[in-house]
Amino acid sequence: MRTHLSGLQTSLSRFKLNLGFPSPPHHPALVPSGAPSMYGGDEVSAIVVDLGSYSCKAGYAGEDAPKAVFPSAVGAIDQMEVDSEANPEKEADSTQDPKNSAKPSDADKSKAKRKLYVGTQALDYRRDHMEVISPFKDGVVVDWDMVDNIWNHAFRQRLLIDPTEHPMLLAEPSINTAQQREKAAEVMFETYKVPALFLAKNAVLTSFASGRSTSLVVDSGGGSTVVAAVHDGYVLQKAVATSPIGGEFLTDCMMKSLESKGIVIKPRYSFKKKEISPGEYKIVDLDFPNTTESYRLFCTRAIAGDIKESVSRVPDSAYDEASYANVPMTSYELPDGQTIEIGADRFKIPDILFNPSLALTIPGIEGFSDPASVKGLPQMVLESINRCDVDIRRELFSSILLAGGTSSMQQLKERLEKELMEVLLVYLFATSFLNIYSYFTNFTSWINNL
Amino acid sequence: MEAVVVDYGSKLLKAGIASPDQDPPYIIPTKMKRVLEEGEEAGGDGTGNDEEVMVDTVVRGFVSDWDAMEDLLHHVLYTNIGWEIGDEGQILFTEPLFTPKYLREQLVQLMFETFNVSGFYASEQAVLSLYAVGRISGCTIDIGHGKIDVAPVCEGAVHHIASKRFGIGGVDLTNLLAQELQKSNPSVNIDISDVEKIKELYAKCASDQIEFEKMQNSCPPEEHTLPDGQVISIGKERYIVGEALFQPHILGLEEYGIVEQLVSGVSNVASEYHRQLLENTMLCGGTAAMTGFEKRFQSEANLSASAIRPALVKPPEYMPENLARNSAWMGGAILAKVVFPQNQHVTKGEYDETGPAIVHKKCF
Repeated sequence: MRTHLSGLQTSLSRFKLNLGFPSPPHHPALVPSGAPSMYGGDEVSAIVVDLGSYSCKAGYAGEDAPKAVFPSAVGAIDQMEVDSEANPEKEADSTQDPKNSAKPSDADKSKAKRKLYVGTQALDYRRDHMEVISPFKDGVVVDWDMVDNIWNHAFRQRLLIDPTEHPMLLAEPSINTAQQREKAAEVMFETYKVPALFLAKNAVLTSFASGRSTSLVVDSGGGSTVVAAVHDGYVLQKAVATSPIGGEFLTDCMMKSLESKGIVIKPRYSFKKKEISPGEYKIVDLDFPNTTESYRLFCTRAIAGDIKESVSRVPDSAYDEASYANVPMTSYELPDGQTIEIGADRFKIPDILFNPSLALTIPGIEGFSDPASVKGLPQMVLESINRCDVDIRRELFSSILLAGGTSSMQQLKERLEKELMEVLLVYLFATSFLNIYSYFTNFTSWINNL
Repeated sequence: MEAVVVDYGSKLLKAGIASPDQDPPYIIPTKMKRVLEEGEEAGGDGTGNDEEVMVDTVVRGFVSDWDAMEDLLHHVLYTNIGWEIGDEGQILFTEPLFTPKYLREQLVQLMFETFNVSGFYASEQAVLSLYAVGRISGCTIDIGHGKIDVAPVCEGAVHHIASKRFGIGGVDLTNLLAQELQKSNPSVNIDISDVEKIKELYAKCASDQIEFEKMQNSCPPEEHTLPDGQVISIGKERYIVGEALFQPHILGLEEYGIVEQLVSGVSNVASEYHRQLLENTMLCGGTAAMTGFEKRFQSEANLSASAIRPALVKPPEYMPENLARNSAWMGGAILAKVVFPQNQHVTKGEYDETGPAIVHKKCF
């Protein structure tokens, strides 16, 4: 089944998501306490929000796909040099009214004087002095003010709902500290005054989305890759393996690799097409000296990410420079009309997932802080399963789920299968039961019917 | 009995019995005046009289005053179209992008409980406009009175994640024009409804940015006589209205022009669909019918930073002239002929059983 987003959208909009799966293990039900009985029947108008390190997905429960998907990165203009407005203004699109009862987080003066721009439309527009920052650092939320803005944008500008009337389901990372969970609950209840809240782990949601209560979830997202074993609807904490290699890291590798070959990626805002004679166009460079480096990087990464998604293919066996030196090139047209040829990188970049040390051969990529702990995907899967009880290992092997945007890379499933098979032969298990499923990869933890 | 199609917009409500290749029979302004003495409201013409309270039934594409909407629909359905109380038929509504769930539920509730219709269906205007030109995939740019919707549609399903909605529209352009006219004709007192008419008569789109700048410097002014006898001169102001759509900073917005919004929206869709989407771009909505707008759009599209150039769709010959203005209604008429006979709509029985939430399950 095609796992690409738009294919999903069209095909799923035509059938109701009813996989007929066994009823999920009993979790505390989502009961809005004291909320008016406008939900009618078994329709709960709950809102599901999955804030990942790369993108935020938000929408209504029970639907096939989220209504709002936008980057988790946020544009920020420091107001201190600009005008001296005392009140922090949290404005996303300039079309809607700003949210009124926003509390500035903590007494940090410098944060309060910052104007934030959230969402694809707001980030698309180039503004002077606008920095692109992320609320996440190493997969953990550090800036809750930004998260507050992101949620606000999702609720009020994208979904157009009033959070006080909808129970919330928040997807959280499979390893989450108590402090993070408490803070999330605090923001939800105090700032948004939601009637009810439930925090669910990504891996569990992915598992339920495919109709299983026990599985091994390989979530390869934007910021990191997490392999977690879910058993009877609970994540086995000791069996979670993480790696800092995610989609964004691969995009960086692609970008640096292209740069080292002399290809210059021009961000969209930096040029303009001029018609010099009917039918003939010329590219004119526009100079915006006040554009921040982080914004330029953000735009360049967007283009590099698209290149990565269009041309990458996971090689059938481990990559090595010699055998891929003469591989046929694919062409890709950049927004400014320049056509570039990509050859070995098509295979090298995805293979970093399986062999992280490959990344170090790309000029410009810094090594990992702890190289020994960064493992390839097959090793992570094995490590995770080995840390589980012997009894459930068979079941886990037979239901490996791929989730996350990066796992929709071409041939990833086949390669992972192959790598795992080679190892399993040692185990004397029959290899026929190894099953890897990958569908809805971008939104699995989002699709849930709790 | 034939189904009725209703397309309510921020300025005009188009309604009538579903007849696919014709204009909507009834086009009524949605601005209403509340007559305070008797506690009633009258639908129909808004005269702009200060003594009565003017009510905007539909604001920015969404219904804001449900009582007014009820009265308006009552007038349209029973008086204009000729339904009989007790023998109501089936009705199809169009709705803008990103309609909140509770608004859809309220509409369904209104129709089944107050009007007692026998069948209901709702669909998004972007999809319907494409049906009107005989396509199921493409991009729609709907520039209405209260809002602008840019939506890529793949096989009849709007790609919500890549779509955009702007809360600006014809009404903001009118305000802009009023401001500009006031600046160049300081002694004349112009009423907003007159500005609206002036905009429709005189507004033009410059053929490109360079020409716009030339016009700003020197443009032959024309004289226009207002209904109350005053004479105003309109010169370069006529071009600023069209330009605002391509350079939104004129309206004070920090956004790129409409073509860039289309291209960046489509880039969020999988690349295999880009060609199909961009080469089937449909412009619709009242404001898109401005003189010179299509030509300017096409030339801006050629300059856009995209390998595939957006190309506008040619409407079929058998469709009426005013396709751009009423495409959503016409598409609704086409859809009504498909949905109701095949029983894909929400019936009274289903509504009674499940409640308003049924609309989310059956209409998408």
